[in-house]
Amino acid sequence: MKFRATCLAGAAAVALCAAGPLAAQGNVDVAIIGDADTFDPMISTKDVVSIVTQHFLETLYTFDENWQVVPLLAADMPTISEDGTTYTIPLREGVSFHDGSTMDSADVAASLSRWKDVASRGMAIADQIGSIEATAPSEITITLTEPYAPLVTLLAFSNSAAVIYPEEIIAPEIKEPIGTGPYKLEAYQPDQYTQLVRFDDYTQPGEAAGERAQTPDEIRFIPVPDTNTRVEGLLSGQFDYADSLSTEAFARIEGSDVAEPVLLDAFGWPLFAVNHKKGLMTDLNIRRAVQAALPYDDMLFAAFGDEKFFQTDGALYPEGWPWHTEAATELYNINDPEKAAEYLAEAGYDGQPLRILTSRQYEFHYQMAEVAQMALEMAGFTVQLDVVDWATLAQNRDNPDLWDIYITHSPFLPEPTLTSSLFGTAREGWVNPDKEEVLERFTRETDLDARKAIYAELQEQVYGDVGMIKIGNFSAVQGKSRKLSGVVPSPWPAFWNAAKAE
Amino acid sequence: MRSYLLRRLIGMIVVIFLVLTIAFVLVRLAPGDPASLMLGPDASPEEVAALRVRLGLDQPIIAQFGSFLANALRGDLGQSLFFNQPVTTVLASRAEPTIVLALFSLLVALVIATPIGIWAAYRRGSVLDQTSITTAMLAASVPSFLTGLVFQRYLATDLGWFPASGYGGAGAGFTERMRHLILPAITLGITNSALILRFTRASMLDILGEDYVRTARAKGMTERRVVLRHALKNAGIPIITVVGLTFALLVSGAVVTERVFNLPGMGNLVVNAVLRRDYPVIQGTLIVVAALYVLVNLITDLLYLAVDKRVKY
Amino acid sequence: MAGPASSAAAPPSLRKLLMQRPSVVVALAVFVLIVAACFLLPAFGLTSIGGMSVRNRLTGPGAEYMLGADAFGRDVLGRLMVAGQTSLGIGLGVALLSSVAGVFIGLVAGFFRKLDTPLSRLIDAMMAFPDILLALSLVAIFGGSMGNVILALSVVYAPRIARIVRASTLVIRELPYVEAARALGTRTPTIMVTHVLRNIVSPILVQATFIFAYAMLAEAGLSFLGVGVDPKIPTWGIMVNEGRQYIDNAFFLILFPGLAIALSVLSLQIVGDGLRDALDPKLAKET
Repeated sequence: MKFRATCLAGAAAVALCAAGPLAAQGNVDVAIIGDADTFDPMISTKDVVSIVTQHFLETLYTFDENWQVVPLLAADMPTISEDGTTYTIPLREGVSFHDGSTMDSADVAASLSRWKDVASRGMAIADQIGSIEATAPSEITITLTEPYAPLVTLLAFSNSAAVIYPEEIIAPEIKEPIGTGPYKLEAYQPDQYTQLVRFDDYTQPGEAAGERAQTPDEIRFIPVPDTNTRVEGLLSGQFDYADSLSTEAFARIEGSDVAEPVLLDAFGWPLFAVNHKKGLMTDLNIRRAVQAALPYDDMLFAAFGDEKFFQTDGALYPEGWPWHTEAATELYNINDPEKAAEYLAEAGYDGQPLRILTSRQYEFHYQMAEVAQMALEMAGFTVQLDVVDWATLAQNRDNPDLWDIYITHSPFLPEPTLTSSLFGTAREGWVNPDKEEVLERFTRETDLDARKAIYAELQEQVYGDVGMIKIGNFSAVQGKSRKLSGVVPSPWPAFWNAAKAE
Repeated sequence: MRSYLLRRLIGMIVVIFLVLTIAFVLVRLAPGDPASLMLGPDASPEEVAALRVRLGLDQPIIAQFGSFLANALRGDLGQSLFFNQPVTTVLASRAEPTIVLALFSLLVALVIATPIGIWAAYRRGSVLDQTSITTAMLAASVPSFLTGLVFQRYLATDLGWFPASGYGGAGAGFTERMRHLILPAITLGITNSALILRFTRASMLDILGEDYVRTARAKGMTERRVVLRHALKNAGIPIITVVGLTFALLVSGAVVTERVFNLPGMGNLVVNAVLRRDYPVIQGTLIVVAALYVLVNLITDLLYLAVDKRVKY
Repeated sequence: MAGPASSAAAPPSLRKLLMQRPSVVVALAVFVLIVAACFLLPAFGLTSIGGMSVRNRLTGPGAEYMLGADAFGRDVLGRLMVAGQTSLGIGLGVALLSSVAGVFIGLVAGFFRKLDTPLSRLIDAMMAFPDILLALSLVAIFGGSMGNVILALSVVYAPRIARIVRASTLVIRELPYVEAARALGTRTPTIMVTHVLRNIVSPILVQATFIFAYAMLAEAGLSFLGVGVDPKIPTWGIMVNEGRQYIDNAFFLILFPGLAIALSVLSLQIVGDGLRDALDPKLAKET
């Protein structure tokens, strides 16, 4: 009975049923590194939250495979006024929420207002937002106090996401998310699974966003905190997909006839976030000393093991991205303890310990810290490596009294301004007049070529003033069952098109 | 007999009271204000103050302890900070894997250890005796997470004999859930079989030295018949005793084993609670496990009393 | 359990009894060898924790690195020795601290009738908490330094010592010569030290040996759970745990520290068994 119901669910499913072996069937089990601690992606920037919630909550815009912004709940790209301050966004009509109501501009306006108030990325530009108004039943208008080019990218991004909720459930805290996505949240058992089931009244987005075929009946996200357990589960056929695997397991997964590795080449960048608010690193010479002393290539090698999984690359965006530039990268991978010692002497360094905060939640963070410590000590630093658990790190990094450097990483994001470390409002507190001036020009400029040129200046600022320290590029390893198809490799893989061969 | 029971019951109540006290004091010893510790640095002073009131932290410490005791006796162990549910509800939802794992692994340990233990005692001093004991001790000397990893890797993933991890997922049936417990139970059972083996062997040696066994031997009964007729009849006693003794071991082992096999049991829960700083859950787990321990030991003592007529109190 | 009354009798020569059992001798030799290696090899500069040479990461055992190199290109042998100092240190620390605390509590409970019942119940209550669970909670609350791990595990194991000491004390305090000493007006603490302690040394020694072994295992378990000692100070447990992700490419990374733990724990247990059998056959039943 269930099978028949499945086949009747939609045109796409019917087609698949007819096709035979790829019939819409069963469940897709996905191993993720931990539970989403909230189902409200507005208030979270965690990858697991994005991965899970993108299936049931949708944004006005999204990205296509080439990281181009395309409409999702919006009917089209916005109409932007000449001066770049008024965005008129047409909305798709007849889009249903999971509660049966139909999305209209009031829902969108209420959701975006909440985003501006509670989402970290929304709050960061709240000052620039003049008003968000429902100007027609299927149209909203956002007016800015000054041009802000990355606005549409922000509206498309899946973390700290501007998702659209029904107006009725908008509240400071949203416990039970209701959205428009192809799946809806069926059950959540903390530490066990998050179960999503197909939303039968889903309406497909426009062609640009791609079909969301709702192939699996259910998508289940299973939190498996231990990397080894994720690998074993994948290889034994228990999971159809597994996120965030160790590069060390790559060869073994490759050799399996059950599963295969998914390599996200040049996925992201590990970085040393610098405390500009308090402590040692507020001194430019100390920052330069760290920058000069770090053995970038050794750190990457120790953490990722094989050149297949990393590149020693100083450009903040690797080749192939429109933002790629080699500006100022001569300051990357100097790996010169003597030069560092000179900077230290200039700073009058007195042996005060440099506190590096890290955790073993991501083993490569810790591994880079260990190698960095050795090199920094060789250059004359006293290093205090604080290895704590993730909860403690997440607490302590918000207190500028407790660290000089903490280690983190980020995927390469489609728009440079999504990197919060660039902004003085971030916890690192990097403020300097030259950088602010460049940054402001960058966010106001709408012409891509002009923005590229300004971005090169911004990268010079990052290196010249040591705003943050990029360690290199690294590739991420995920794994999928050999039977599974239809999942586009991404930092935030989506499973609405995931099909399992018999 | 009746006075013995009464004494045991009073003793048990006192011990449970102390368990509660210790659990209360432990969490209070955590440096810093519990409310702000629980909420993290992002919390506003108002939020901290509100939680302090909710947790009763604004009351004098004795009053806090009093209401903690009163609540605990009513079966209220507080509210989990992470789950936003009563701790007892959370614990109840995690009890099945842990309890079944403990029982399964006890069974595995008994099946491995009892025959070998009896055999070793029967052949005391022989090579077999020495080898079996040393092997069992070696199995108990390897950290159990390592045994688990190796089993998981080779028996589950490579050979496909068992599920590699988890508890069957959403809506898994009873059989499916139990299937997921087999390999963890073997892991934990092997680790704990050494204790049972040694205990069985020692008890058997005792029994073999008893007067009635000597009499039987003197009457010309073969050693094998002595063992089968007399000794085995008394094997129930060491088994009962060992259940009580290994309970704590099993729970400790379950914490690690559940982690290796990603089982949603109380052990995994408490580790996650530690990583999340969910103090009410840590406290609640300590209380429930300790209370279970006390109860299990009372029951085993009473069973002992029922089975072994020689025991006088 | 029967009281260890017979331990009050003059103990026979320990050495003679031990030497009758070849397995105990072998185990003792293995343990002494491990301890000696961990402390002497680095001291004489024969192994060193060495620097990192990242390019040599995961080199297998061979001429350059006898037991291979870890993910940072550090010498596994050198690290194994230094980690051994910590692991053995934790084991010994817990054995000593829990013995001292346990003896104190046990003596007080055994000698002062008024304190006996409350202390005994306290001991029962403490023993109701499983070791890893209690240690986990304590380390979670106070933080994971080596000192805290030792302290937490001592809290876990001290009641076991205390229970044995109390039982022994209850028997010994009634012995004629102790009563006589008391009648002669010797002060209570002096009685404890001179008469009782001397007689309960052997059961404590046996228990301490086992606690030494359990503590090393518990430390490994805590490291696995991610709440052990600060990873900057390597222990064998941390080394095994770090090696887990290299199980395919460098099995030796978990093999050697795993063996070190298993051999130390096994030899300690065999020695403990031997001691128990030798010192007091009646204790052999206790676990």
